[in-house]
This record gives sequence, structure tokens and C-alpha cells, in this order.
Amino acid sequence: MLINAQDISVRISDKKLIESISCNAAQGDYLCIVGPNGSGKSTFLKTLIAILPIHSGKLMIDGQSISQYRHKKLARLISYVPQNGGNHLTFIVDDYVRMARYSHHHVFSEWQTHDNEVVENALNITECQAFRYRKMSTLSGGECQRVMIAAALAQDTPVLVLDEPTAFLDPHHQVAVHQLIRKLNQQHNKTIIEVTHDINHAAQHSKHVLALLDGKCLWHGPAEQFLNAERLQQLYQQAFVFAKHPHHDRLIAVADES
Amino acid sequence: MSIKLKLIALSLFTILVVIISPWLDFSAAGSADIQQMIIYELRIPRVLFAFTAGCGLALCGMVFQAMFRNPLATPFTLGVASGASLGAAISVYTGISFTILGLSATSLSAFAGALIAISFVYSISRFRFGFSGETLLLTGVAISFFFSSLILFIQYLSNVADSFQIIRWLMGSLTVVGYQELKQLLPFVTLTAVVIIYLSRELNLLMAGDEIATSRGVSVKYVRYALFFVTSLCVGAIVALCGPIGFVGMMVPHICRLIIGEDHRYLIPATLLFGGSFLVICDTLARLVIAPAELPVGVITTLLGGPFFLWLLMRYKSQH
Repeated sequence: MLINAQDISVRISDKKLIESISCNAAQGDYLCIVGPNGSGKSTFLKTLIAILPIHSGKLMIDGQSISQYRHKKLARLISYVPQNGGNHLTFIVDDYVRMARYSHHHVFSEWQTHDNEVVENALNITECQAFRYRKMSTLSGGECQRVMIAAALAQDTPVLVLDEPTAFLDPHHQVAVHQLIRKLNQQHNKTIIEVTHDINHAAQHSKHVLALLDGKCLWHGPAEQFLNAERLQQLYQQAFVFAKHPHHDRLIAVADES
Repeated sequence: MSIKLKLIALSLFTILVVIISPWLDFSAAGSADIQQMIIYELRIPRVLFAFTAGCGLALCGMVFQAMFRNPLATPFTLGVASGASLGAAISVYTGISFTILGLSATSLSAFAGALIAISFVYSISRFRFGFSGETLLLTGVAISFFFSSLILFIQYLSNVADSFQIIRWLMGSLTVVGYQELKQLLPFVTLTAVVIIYLSRELNLLMAGDEIATSRGVSVKYVRYALFFVTSLCVGAIVALCGPIGFVGMMVPHICRLIIGEDHRYLIPATLLFGGSFLVICDTLARLVIAPAELPVGVITTLLGGPFFLWLLMRYKSQH
């Protein structure tokens, strides 16, 4: 098991952000984390990359407790795509993506041809070649998001952790990013852990869904069983109606506004 | 022009500045002995001393700007220099004098002052929630004022001679005789430069934010501690030996960023070169403007830096 969380809790000055959450992810898994705002989704992600320390419980990454990892070693296993798009950064795209190779180098090591290949590959998969020499602050939201994913790919890790990667994108770019993540999961066998508000995306594309409410696990199970009227009502305090997708038999959920 | 070419041009410029400066306003009067004395014992040590101090000041400013991700953050705007000044003023007032490992009491109390001020700023910057760049700067300004009034208080208590010594030193001066001061300053600036060059990739990643830096594998906490410690040492040493020479640390790295870009692997050497030659130029100006008398160099850098600070502030405001 690549990631194994048992009963983990996180507190910041006596405030419980998440409480006894357990979940697993094996190589090639695709886990979506859903839940209302403030339910602890991002907090959970941040424990995986050791930005936030866990207060109790056990978090094993590749068979070793996370507290025993040096940041650099952890960064060779897990890469992270943060929530905001990076539009505030003034780096050149190319520099920013190259910087992600940090964990594979030490202070005197030379830039290798392998590094170049990984960076080129990351820029190709995410289709960032067209603007690789531009400043990130001049890019559109969708382009910037792709650059953030490209940088995480250049880190060349088996696990990719994404925090709402499609939050600010138009439908076309949402689909493009979803397809990209699926490709990474299916063709490159990357383990994906993604926080999303798009419940249909979670139900259709991921393998497992973890639903969080008020920092606790509400439901954890296979993605195809996730869409359930009662569960969604409880999770979001919102009624949903369901319909069959015209192209395949899976359900799609729509928030009931009536 | 490629970055490497720019760095080469900057190196040539630096060499030119360092070679020419000692000879400017050099009168051929006096015997050959006196002329030699002036060049070898006064001018050359002074230029080298100014160069070293300029390197250190500019480098510390660059590190602060990168760490706090704010173009206005420098050891001076954040009150670290006034902390060091206060430490030095206290040692002048109390008149204690001793040396540990070749460091005078003034240097040591300046270090202590710098470290106290920087820990203030750091602990305040740890309150993550609702914390902004503006809060940081205002905190720095408040700390600056607080320490400045303590310095005034000490001056008020001191006798005329001590008080004058403190005032003269607060203006910043690079007047040296011989190589004694240079020998004291050089190890600190070298140590700081080595540590900062060693951490250049980490500095690049810190510019992207603490979370991204952590996720890329940087031990943000230790890098910060190391940088805080060496910059405090460096600012403490410079303030103890030359007084608080303001604004070099803010202007130089910013101008270098405009020319060289954000990548610290190139920005650090550029900042070193330009910081050194900038302070040499300012010091030469300080010698020439009202020759044969001379201005304190701090007056020149502050006169240049004030308007620059305002320009930067307005640019920064319009961007955010």
C-alpha cells in the first residue's frame, strides 16, 4: 500500500481540522475527496505532503511513517498541485517547471539529460510548449493550471496530489484537465488523490471516493456507489436529482434548485 | 543579451569602478611617500571596505525580499538594522570593551540587537491568519521607531562626546585607516555569501511560496533559520563597523532583478557585484560632492534611496 492513513487527526491550536480519518491508496489508484467547504479536504491533502503535521493517528507512505521522512525524500514520492492557480508568480514557465526537479538534485549535481527529458515530457503532456518562455503572471487561468500540473509532473513522483485543479476553469478546460489526470492515471500508472467539488467527475472517473463532513469521514467507498440522494443531502445540505447519462448507464447528479 | 553576457558586463563594470575610484580627486601634491600613504593606507582599504559592506548589505536585502516575497522587505525596513544600531549604541553608552574571537563588544551587541529584532519580525510573521505583506512592513516600521527612540533615549543620557560619536556613527561612514576593519568584516560577508549561494535553489523555491517549496522537498523551516541567522550576523557586523547605511539592500537587488531576472543562481552574483560597486560609487560621491570635506555615505544612499523607495511603493501598490 503506497499511502495508508489510520485514524489521523489534525489540530491547529485546539481547533480540530480533521478527526480520525482512515483511507488507503495503492499504486495506480484514483481517490477523489469530496465534501462541503471547510470540511477538511485541503487539510487532509496537506498532511500527505507534510505541510501540516498530524496530531494523532498513523500515516504511512510507502511503508514508512511520514514523520520519518525528510522533505526531500517525500518530494520524490508525492507531488502537489495547490489550489490557487499560480497567476501571482513571476517565474518564466520553463524555469518554474525546471525548479520542480529540486528533490532529484543536491547542491553540486549537474543538470542531466534525463532531467531535460522529464521536463520536456511534462511540458508536452500538459501542452505547455506554446508558452514555455512566458511569465506565469501573463497566462490565463487554464494555462497557469496546466503549468502547475506540468511542474508537479516534472517532479516525477508515483503519487500526484491535486487540490481542486479545475476550480477556476471554463467547461472546456475542465474537461481537458480531467482528461489529462485520467491519462496520467491510466497510461502512466500514477496514483491520483484529488480534491474536487465536481461530484459527477468524482463518481465517473475516480476509483474511490472519500466524503468528508466537518473534518470527519462521512463515507468511503467505490466511486460507482457514491451517488446516492440521501448521502449527498447529508453531505451538502442540498437536494439532488438524478438522471442516466445518455451515453452510458451511470447516474449523473444535478443539484435540485426547485 | 543573454544572462551570462550581462554578468560578464557587470563584472567588467565592477572591476572598472574598483580600479578607478581610489584615484578620483587625487591631488598630485605632496611627496611621493605621502601619495603612496594616501593610496595604500587610505584609499584602497576604503574602497575594498566599501565594496565588501555593499556586497553584504545588498545580499541581505535580496534574501529578505525573497523570503518575505515582498520588494520592500529589507533588514532596514524591517527594523533589523535599527536593532543592531541600538545594540551598538548601548555598548558605546555603557563603555564596556572586550573582545571575543577578535569581535569587539560593539559588534557583539550589534549582533544581539539584530537577532532580537529579527526574532520579533519572524514571530510576528508566524501568525499566518490574516497576515499580509503590509502588516509585515508596518511591524518593521513600528519596531524601527521603537528602537530609534531607545537610541535617542540613550543619546539623551550620554555625555556630549558619546552622544556625538553615536550620531556620527548613525549617519553611516566608511572612513577607515588601514585594513583592520576590512579584516573584521570580510569573514562575515564571505560566510553569508557562501551560505546564500549554497541555498540559491531553495531561495528560488521559497519565492513560489512556503507550501510549494515544502512540496518540492525544501525544509522551509531550516532554510529560514539558516538565512535569518547569517543575515543577522552580516547586518550586525556591517552596522557595528560602518553604521546603518540604508537603502543599499533595497535598491540593488531590485535593480538587479530588473536586469538579470528572478533566478537566484544568477541574481546572487549580480547582487554581489552591483552591491559592492554601488556602495563604492556612493562613497566616492560622498568624498567628492563637497570636497575637500566629505559627507557621510549614509546621507548619499538615503538621498538616492528615499525616492526609489517611494517609486517602488507606488509600483507595488498599483500591482496589488
